[in-house]
Amino acid sequence: MSEHVRSIIAIALSAAALVVIVVGLAASNQPPVNAEERVAALSASIKCPFCNGESLAESGSGVAADYRQLIAERVAAGYTDDEIRQEFADNFGDSFILDTSTSSWALALWIIPMVAMAAGVAVVVSMRRAAKQSEEVTT
Amino acid sequence: MIAVLGNLAILAALGAAISVVVVGMRSQKSGDTQALRIPVGVFALAALTVFIVLEVAILTHDYSIAYVANNSADATPFIFLLASGWAALEGSIVLWGVILALFTFLVWRRLDVVDPLGVLAVAVMGGVAVFWFGLMATAGNPFSVCTDVAGGLCSGSSWWPLAEIALPSDGRGPNPLLQNHILMAIHPPMLYIGYVGFTVPFAFAIAALLRGDVGKIWLERTHRWSMVAWAFLTFGILLGGWWSYEVLGWGGYWAWDPVENAALLPWLTATAFIHSAVVQRRRGMLQAWNFILVIATFALTILGTFLTRSGVIASVHAFTQSGVGPALLVFLALVVIGSLTLFAIKARDVAQAPRLDSLSSREGFILANNLLLTVFAFTVLFGTMYPLIIETLSGSEVAVGRPFFDRAAVPLALLLLLMVGAGAVAPWRVATREVMWRRLRAAMAAGFIAGAFAVLIGVRSIAVVIAIVLAVYVITAIVVRFATVVAARSEGVARAARTVVANDRGYWGGQLSHIGLALVAISLATTNGLAVRETVTIEQGSSAVVAGYCFTYIEPFSIAEPNRDVTGVRIAVMDEACSETKKILEPRVNVYAGGSQPIGTPSVWTGPIDDVYLGIAGGSAGVVDLNVFIFPFQWMLWVGGLIVVAGGVLAMFRKPGSTPRASETVTAPEARNGDV
Repeated sequence: MSEHVRSIIAIALSAAALVVIVVGLAASNQPPVNAEERVAALSASIKCPFCNGESLAESGSGVAADYRQLIAERVAAGYTDDEIRQEFADNFGDSFILDTSTSSWALALWIIPMVAMAAGVAVVVSMRRAAKQSEEVTT
Repeated sequence: MIAVLGNLAILAALGAAISVVVVGMRSQKSGDTQALRIPVGVFALAALTVFIVLEVAILTHDYSIAYVANNSADATPFIFLLASGWAALEGSIVLWGVILALFTFLVWRRLDVVDPLGVLAVAVMGGVAVFWFGLMATAGNPFSVCTDVAGGLCSGSSWWPLAEIALPSDGRGPNPLLQNHILMAIHPPMLYIGYVGFTVPFAFAIAALLRGDVGKIWLERTHRWSMVAWAFLTFGILLGGWWSYEVLGWGGYWAWDPVENAALLPWLTATAFIHSAVVQRRRGMLQAWNFILVIATFALTILGTFLTRSGVIASVHAFTQSGVGPALLVFLALVVIGSLTLFAIKARDVAQAPRLDSLSSREGFILANNLLLTVFAFTVLFGTMYPLIIETLSGSEVAVGRPFFDRAAVPLALLLLLMVGAGAVAPWRVATREVMWRRLRAAMAAGFIAGAFAVLIGVRSIAVVIAIVLAVYVITAIVVRFATVVAARSEGVARAARTVVANDRGYWGGQLSHIGLALVAISLATTNGLAVRETVTIEQGSSAVVAGYCFTYIEPFSIAEPNRDVTGVRIAVMDEACSETKKILEPRVNVYAGGSQPIGTPSVWTGPIDDVYLGIAGGSAGVVDLNVFIFPFQWMLWVGGLIVVAGGVLAMFRKPGSTPRASETVTAPEARNGDV
């Protein structure tokens, strides 16, 4: 089999598979999130009071079980995720909410690692630039 | 009596460690290895004695020692008695110290007869040991005697070994969580061998800087030590995840707990280091970067210990608070400031002209992965410290937890996989587009086909599909490369395969680890993205169906053991029609003597695809509330992790000074195209 044929086969197979992936993912309606999954996600994003740093989802303590039960009741009663989290924040303080995507101080948490990444990329690119320049000088 | 003996052993080890430093510094010019014979020998023996005396005190239930009284009890089973020797703060410092002493001895044994660099490196290790044994002699003394008893338990202690002793009638016993699974006895030593092992490359790096001997010799000489440390650290982290999965009962293996982060941080920089070390050996680049990475790795092991042992960040692992925290902080500052100052002074010698011929090359991809790994480490460190920083700056309390780390880690990990596949097959110096395409096209197609297959059988999570595509691409790229190199040889396939690996264990060990990593990635994706979690209430004799499995509550049971009372339920896991029993599971709840709350023990059945994971959530007579978790391809995490470790072990036995050959073999069709 020539190189050319191999390349064409690889491209054709990849393209066909990619179509299946895209169509499959796009066509399917995401299954509705069930109550258990919401409770699991919520308890993973709320710190367990009196549990030494674990989330409600991780802690095996009775307290955590009680709060998970409370969350389940709230979900069943039709509260939104934010409302439930807010209730915990009001009772225990913001530091009990582990999901930090919404608060303003969380911005720096995201931006600073991104700046570090950008700085790293800049260093690597400059290494290549410097090498290129020294090549030009020597040739 | 035993307190006196223990303290004498600590002082002897401390004195010997100091003499290792002094003698090492004095004889580093001549490089006379024999000058260190007695100091190193005495140090190793004394350190071992400290450890043995502590274990003997625990095994003989000598409650005059506060540590023994607080961390073991008459009813504690043998294996957990043994593990009590390192289960709490003071004992973990002893374990650290004894491992460091053994490493120092082994490093010394392997030195040349005349070895200036090695002698100085041993002196640096002695310096690190002075800190640990100094800590043992003061703030972290494991042999403090019990001086007060309340309610039969030890309630006060004194470091002075001859203080008047009050003898408790029984010990408190270990933390219930720590006596619940055999893995707790194995996981910490493995992790500590990994942590402490990085002292060796650190010591050689510092010695090289001190001597102005900044070439690649220190890297060549520490290759095997670094691989040993890395393999143990990886294995230790894997065992920790497994323990968490088997014991904690919430169905997970990784929670981004500060202690877990503390183990991950040096692992990330160490992984970057073992890759960039290859680049320096092969291409002479990244000299300075390797010093930075090895210093960072060592500093992060200390930082991790500080974060978790000082109680500065509340965590499930941070059991204790004492003067050890400030001491660790001072030591950390000394290490970081001292190393970086030394590095800055010698930077002129280290710096060299960068010779990155192309970003598309083996070194280019390794560089990209180094960048990703360090940014990953920085992000985890920053996230772990962020609550501290915010609290210090603004006084307000915030929490950074799993949601942040998950979201930050996933894109970084996926990018890493992309680069691993490319870097594994890219030639050094310049990888032309044609070569890369030829070596990766099958991998690309295989990845996409696997992704399409996953979608066809019903996977709908985008993250899971991407992880599968990338993981299969990595595995295929490596397997195709191996097959190509093997096929290019004239002898039979099995023989050729053996020769190829034997000629370049470093490279193929690395690729084996990459395959393991890809399997881990698949498992991480499926166990998070495709898990089923439900809580069902079942009456005795009846059944509930979850995710294609039928669960029948057979009967409750209870067992009285010396150190705990166990109650549990017998559950038959059956097919969906509730007709054929596949496995009987026995999730249980343990109540420990002296323990506060009951500790659950989940019960797991690993089937061909799924892990069925049951835990008791509650219940009453004749009724049980059962947590039912289904984790697809959970086993792949443990298998993949072990393959990662196996790759590290294989790479350990790289021939010293050997340069990769097999991986560089030009195969026929490539030679025709004129690239290497």
